[in-house]
Amino acid sequence: MPKKYLPFESVSRRDLLKFSVGAGVVGPLALTAGSVKAVNTKAHIVIVGAGAGGISIANRLTNSLQGAKITIIDTREKHYYQPGWTLVASGVWNQAKTETQVSDWLPKSVNWVKGMVAEYDPDNNQVILETGQSVAYDQLIIASGLQLRYDLIEGMDVGLIGQGKGIGSVYASLDAAAATNTEIKRWISKGSGTGLFNLPPTALKCAGAPLKMTFTTLHRLEDTGRRDDFNVEFMTPSGKLFGVPFYNDFVKQRFSDQGVTRNDFWTLKAVDADAKKATYSVKGGEDQVKDYDFLHVVPPMTAGAALENSPLAFQPGESFTGWMKVDRETLQNPDYPNVWGIGDVMGMPSNKTAASVKMHAKVLEENFLASLQGKPLTAKHNGYTSCPLITGIGKAMLVEFGWDSKLLPSFSFIDPKKESWTVWVMKERMLRPAYYAMLEGKI
Amino acid sequence: MTFFGTLTVVWYSALPWLWLIALMVIIFLAPQVIARMKGYSFGSQGGMGSKYLPPLVFVLALFLVPMQTQSSIAYVNTWVDWMNLIGASIGLGIYAWFVFHPICYLRNRKA
Repeated sequence: MPKKYLPFESVSRRDLLKFSVGAGVVGPLALTAGSVKAVNTKAHIVIVGAGAGGISIANRLTNSLQGAKITIIDTREKHYYQPGWTLVASGVWNQAKTETQVSDWLPKSVNWVKGMVAEYDPDNNQVILETGQSVAYDQLIIASGLQLRYDLIEGMDVGLIGQGKGIGSVYASLDAAAATNTEIKRWISKGSGTGLFNLPPTALKCAGAPLKMTFTTLHRLEDTGRRDDFNVEFMTPSGKLFGVPFYNDFVKQRFSDQGVTRNDFWTLKAVDADAKKATYSVKGGEDQVKDYDFLHVVPPMTAGAALENSPLAFQPGESFTGWMKVDRETLQNPDYPNVWGIGDVMGMPSNKTAASVKMHAKVLEENFLASLQGKPLTAKHNGYTSCPLITGIGKAMLVEFGWDSKLLPSFSFIDPKKESWTVWVMKERMLRPAYYAMLEGKI
Repeated sequence: MTFFGTLTVVWYSALPWLWLIALMVIIFLAPQVIARMKGYSFGSQGGMGSKYLPPLVFVLALFLVPMQTQSSIAYVNTWVDWMNLIGASIGLGIYAWFVFHPICYLRNRKA
């Protein structure tokens, strides 16, 4: 959906349509416009990664800077609304709902370099691409996301997902999410068997997704009327299901109520897809092998070799080793003040969600502009992250929290501790529009 | 949220439903315009249809609106859920009255 500009003015046709559709509805509410005054700069700003964080900050800086040269580096042509993949894998959405083009969202003035960063060289203010090309910068924003390390699970390959071997994984790709749905349907149509659901031993993006997949699958199993014929087990490497104690206890209780066997301190180590056997390392015990009919694989996740091997990462012995080193409140690298982070790549508790990116982008923009003007960095990230925790197809809880698991509800009238149809409707209908507005840098 | 931020969210929310919004506007306007050309006003005599169909639409909407969102009335749980559902159903009931009332007026006039 490329933007179309009228020949006689700089307002896009889409903006005019938005105005006409929306003005009548929200006019009275919308008088809180808070545009930032443009800052003049000749700086060359390089953004690594054209995912949610990269696109969002590119749009924001395009609007708030004058004279800057902005370059974004990424090979990806397609942009996916990844929070929708759990709905695809649960058979609620079709694939097309989550797919757009990166070019739909990038401002025309941004220079898009189609490459991947192989090396960060912050001492010389440059990044080196896999092609050997170096790109110099005055300011660097790292939005490179994270890497899914299926390779760390012996015998696992994303090509196995949806191949009739009982393996699914909502994280791997949009096609994999759809194939996971196919695999779950195949298991359900068998009429019995064991499903194994997992958490990884590392930080993960959308930490609620493995739980959502379990809950939606339980819903589908219960809909068959033969729930007792299916065995469902959930494996946790840390013994925890969720970082926030209330939701951890809630999910534990719900799993117990819904007949899910929990295996704490079990980590998926290997998969034998042909034999449908999963091997787990068990803390303080011997490895265990489980037969399965369906296995939901959640891979270990890391920041990627280029960043991990750079001076920009937390070093061994520090918290969040291997993830990007930032001050968790200002999002600035403490060692290289012209290097900033946004999104999943950063080393901080939780915060690997699209909702976090929305907050990161605001804080980053404000601090970035302040830094360019030689002012103190006053914007502080409060750790906000959010997860509409789907507890069944048609109901969800709006989980929002910040540092130290402090609940940060956005809507005083929505009880964050209750399952709700309204929250489901928000997840199913409203969050994708809000996400797109975030990409455009509008919220 | 800024002005254009709010509009952007509204725009992307409405985008998949523009066809339905347009269809509903046409279904609303067509009987209103035709009936008004023949002397109709909101105070005119309607008929059985405009008396019973809007409440029926309201009651059906209580079940169909959650279903349309791939959910069920069984998951309408909190007071906010009920407010939203009842509000949406009342809105559809009122919309039905605006459609059926002029249609009934035209039917009565013919008869």
